[in-house]
Amino acid sequence: MTAQMFFIGFFGLAGVWFGIVVFRTFSMVRSALALLFSQTALGAMFLSMQAEFLGVLQIMMMATEMSIMAIFMVMFMMDPGGLGEMDMTHQKRLSLGAGIVSFVAAVAVAVFVDWGPVASVSPDAAQQTIDLGLELLGRSMLIFETAGITILTAMIAATAVAIQPVKRTREQ
Amino acid sequence: MITGARQGKPFALHRLLAAAMARDLGTFVIPGPDIARAHGLDIEAAGLHRVTSPRHASVLLVIGTVPPALCEAAAVIYAQMVRPRAIIALGTDELSPLPAADVMANLSQQALIKGVRELRSAFAEGAFYPEVSDFDAPVLQVRIEYTCPMHPEIVRDEPGSCPKCGMNLVLREAQAKAGHLHTDHQEMGANMDMETASTHAHGSHHSIDHGALVEYTCPMHPEVVQDEPGSCPKCGMDLVPRDAPPESSHEHHQMTHDEPVEYTCPMHPEVVQDEPGSCPKCGMDLVPRDALAESSHEHHHMTHDEPVESCPMHPEVVQDEPGSCPKCGMNLEPRETQNKQSHKHSGMDHNGMDSDMDHSSMDHGDMAFMSMIDVTKDLPRSGDGLPMEWIEAPFGPFFPGLPSGLLLTLTLDGDTVAGSNARSLIENRELLQSSSMDTGSFVEQLTSFDPLAPVTYRYLACRVLENIAGMDVSANTAYARIGALERERIASHLGWLALFAQQTGFDWLMRRTASLQLKFQHADLEQIVALKPAILTLTKRLQRTPLLKSRMAGVGLLATDATLRGPVARATGIGDDARSADKVCTTLGFKTVSRKTGDALARLHVRLDEIIHSLALIEAAGAIELPVPAIIGEISGTGEAVVETPRGVARLRLTLEMGKVTTAQLDTPSTHHLALINPLIEQQELGDALLAVSSLDLSPWEVRQ
Amino acid sequence: MTTVLLLLLLAVGAYLVAVLEDWTVSGRFRLTAPVLAGIALLGRESIVPRKPDRIFFEVAPFLLLISAILAAAVVPLTPDLIITDMATGALFINAALVYVLVALLMAGWGPDGAYAMIGGWRFLGQLIAYAMLIVMPITAVVMRAESLLTTQVVVSQAGVWNIIYQPLGFILFFIAAMALAFLPPFDLTTSKGELAGGVEAEYAGVRLAVFRLGRLALIITLAAATVIFYLGGWQGPLLPPWAWSTIKILAVTTIMLLAGRYMPRIREADLLAWCWMLGIPLALLNILLVGVLVLVFP
Repeated sequence: MTAQMFFIGFFGLAGVWFGIVVFRTFSMVRSALALLFSQTALGAMFLSMQAEFLGVLQIMMMATEMSIMAIFMVMFMMDPGGLGEMDMTHQKRLSLGAGIVSFVAAVAVAVFVDWGPVASVSPDAAQQTIDLGLELLGRSMLIFETAGITILTAMIAATAVAIQPVKRTREQ
Repeated sequence: MITGARQGKPFALHRLLAAAMARDLGTFVIPGPDIARAHGLDIEAAGLHRVTSPRHASVLLVIGTVPPALCEAAAVIYAQMVRPRAIIALGTDELSPLPAADVMANLSQQALIKGVRELRSAFAEGAFYPEVSDFDAPVLQVRIEYTCPMHPEIVRDEPGSCPKCGMNLVLREAQAKAGHLHTDHQEMGANMDMETASTHAHGSHHSIDHGALVEYTCPMHPEVVQDEPGSCPKCGMDLVPRDAPPESSHEHHQMTHDEPVEYTCPMHPEVVQDEPGSCPKCGMDLVPRDALAESSHEHHHMTHDEPVESCPMHPEVVQDEPGSCPKCGMNLEPRETQNKQSHKHSGMDHNGMDSDMDHSSMDHGDMAFMSMIDVTKDLPRSGDGLPMEWIEAPFGPFFPGLPSGLLLTLTLDGDTVAGSNARSLIENRELLQSSSMDTGSFVEQLTSFDPLAPVTYRYLACRVLENIAGMDVSANTAYARIGALERERIASHLGWLALFAQQTGFDWLMRRTASLQLKFQHADLEQIVALKPAILTLTKRLQRTPLLKSRMAGVGLLATDATLRGPVARATGIGDDARSADKVCTTLGFKTVSRKTGDALARLHVRLDEIIHSLALIEAAGAIELPVPAIIGEISGTGEAVVETPRGVARLRLTLEMGKVTTAQLDTPSTHHLALINPLIEQQELGDALLAVSSLDLSPWEVRQ
Repeated sequence: MTTVLLLLLLAVGAYLVAVLEDWTVSGRFRLTAPVLAGIALLGRESIVPRKPDRIFFEVAPFLLLISAILAAAVVPLTPDLIITDMATGALFINAALVYVLVALLMAGWGPDGAYAMIGGWRFLGQLIAYAMLIVMPITAVVMRAESLLTTQVVVSQAGVWNIIYQPLGFILFFIAAMALAFLPPFDLTTSKGELAGGVEAEYAGVRLAVFRLGRLALIITLAAATVIFYLGGWQGPLLPPWAWSTIKILAVTTIMLLAGRYMPRIREADLLAWCWMLGIPLALLNILLVGVLVLVFP
């Protein structure tokens, strides 16, 4: 139990630390990867809380997403290496305020909500995944999955329609 | 001890490491593997393994006499190699500015093998040494300078901040010695400074003209414009001076001075108020209005009082009549113009131009997003329309996928080529060593002119001399000479295949063609006939190689053009070949080979067909004999000759005075092909661009300007 | 104990991959060459380029190695020889291997060199192409096994191996695995002829040794993953389970290493186009087919 608490705390602090690093570096790439590692630390927190599926999913999804964000930062920012040490932050007071308020709110929720009796043993990972699916989707599982496929199809179709027919320069 | 020993006492551990290193000699070849093969050297067979990055090399193998410009570049390579490092030189002792070679040997395979053996023992004994000295050369001298990451034109000797944008200047190393462009960006990326990597290598930033009206703006927030220097109210950066647009500036300035400043939201132009504050819609800081007024100055006046039609998704689409958006096809909707007019009825603006759905839900609270579009709007766009960081990267002169000696400097936009500059570091060598040269040594001189085609140029020199003297060689000799020429063509095309394979990572082909090339170089008739099945198998195998067609088809497309020579021309369908005008060749059954499509694949096929055709010509010729210069006596006159080199027609024009060569003019195919590179690779993906360049089969040695 | 044993086995595996790779490249079978090369790398200076992103430069080789080891942790060599039989094992392999991308991005950005940087970003472009072709075939595999446990995946193939049951998935996964290990013809990120080594170009000495070790571990891990997903893992007649695992993994490794020698490097644009226009529809079709098969022959 203590080891578990230690890891939860450790990864929590790591997540916060990487989150701070996001704003404390001038380099776009470092910033993006710091965000990635912050999210990875969250995934590791899930793992240490024995929520295996959620943890692995978080760790997997974030790597790709944040890397893609990094390349966009490099593509569009003028000084992606941050050599000019240009300050990229805005409206600091507002964001600080918003950050503190949400932090306090989150802590308040965590402390004051009645979470019910503490489970002595967590269900095994497979059972968790099933429970999670039922919790999130309930009886509508099939409907949601169908909707998911439909949205994916729609996205692909929309992209296909939106792309201008390119004149092929290459002769195949 | 070896010259590039690593510091350390020869302890047992070090001795073990040194012994292992002596068995694993990563080698960087100067000028390159193509030249090594041209000299008949098989580097792998000698026990060295080739590496492509100097960081991974422990041995620098220098082959033959290396021109000075290449020597300097080689010194940079040597400096980039990690210790312990050593130099082995074959057939040359002129290495300056490189340090003296640790092992010297003759230019032959046996000597190389012996040299490698010596090198191994030198390495095992002397890889570590207590005192080592630094390697230094004038070419490595760097000057520290400071430059602005956003304004590459700002270069200062001392640190400070950029006068344009106030950003801190960043340290950069530059070549101390002026006038040596190529060494400026040192070969491997290692010394490519981040400044180069993150600046746009183009001059789109207008320089300050102190005479002009100057206004100050924030590099990140173009809507912040004021007349005096200061810092940006949004991000605190120093404002940078910029020229006010000459025509509008006066007007605009008057406007600013005459009228009270009004504040508007960058995302919601309908929000206008007289005092600074936040936008009631999105909470962003309001910005002074004149900035917007300036940026949309023209259409401002145009659309002064009447409502216009605009696209809900593309606010920049504005027209006077209803219709659909040219960008997305949505119906345009009427909206209030975003001019001074609007602040008068600012009360009703909350239902104005944009429906709530666009912005409020999209959390575009961050100004920088918007400004970045403004900041980048004037940057040159590449083919895909995205403004991106441009970097300038040198490929060569020892780049593994390009002919050695060719320096290709690419301006890369992502990995698309935005611009290029190709030149040979070996160009324009003197044809005549003195003002007059006797014919025998001139022929030798031309033989060593291009190590990639020695026989062909020797033949060319002999032919000119014979033409001037009006001599004819016997039919048998003529046939035998064609045999030698065609043998060299086969070897040269095989060498090109090896280079192509090296570039595209087609390992099997590289090994196969490299070994065939070595076998063909000095093969006699019998051996050539014996090698024929191997060639046929090779071509058949290439026909059914997966990915080969998709890799090459459509890459490096060239239209029919008079400047094209040789296989490159014949791949576009031109039946242009000097051999078809040569009676000796036509008697042997010469026919022009050609393809239509003009891409890299067509060039590959032309070369493969030529290899097979050359085999037939050699068999028909029935003999192989190197051209021997005729003894022409002390004659005077002018004459010329052409020869179809493996790369295309070369033309030599000589003037003789009393049996001495006094002037020589040489026109070579690579000279013309070098100029093709720039248009050929523009907007191509890097891999395609490199393939297009290598498919031209340039010989940097024969480039003349 | 199992962990130590498996880590040792991974090291041996990396060594064998190095021998095989040396054989495919040089044509000679030398058992000592990789050892000598490794020791030689330790003896060389390991310099840092002039203006690196130091953290990225230092971390990248280790991150590559660690992600390969983490992925190897859920690969069973025999029913008991597995570091941790995670309930989400099949997903975890993928999660761990995504960090190969992060490592290569860092290795590309870190040393401040054009070749390395382009190599790093190229790998990202490549990932966008093949990422779906890793996940979707795995989906079909776990559909048959009705479990994400890697041991269960192997057990599910007791009757018919997945290579027969879902050949389409095998082909797609195999290609994607080669792309993930940046083996030729997918070596866009470390290509010698186009980028003079790409992300590897600036590494030297010890750091290069770690980087290469990571790459070898990655190759053997991916070969092992291919074996447990499609080739019935440790199952086979006569020989003991560990022998079958070894034979199969080495065979897959050899094919992976050899394939690239006989063709030129793929064009980046072609890879993207084929993966998206051909690969993903085929992968969806594979899921559909396997779904039907699972229902018809339970």
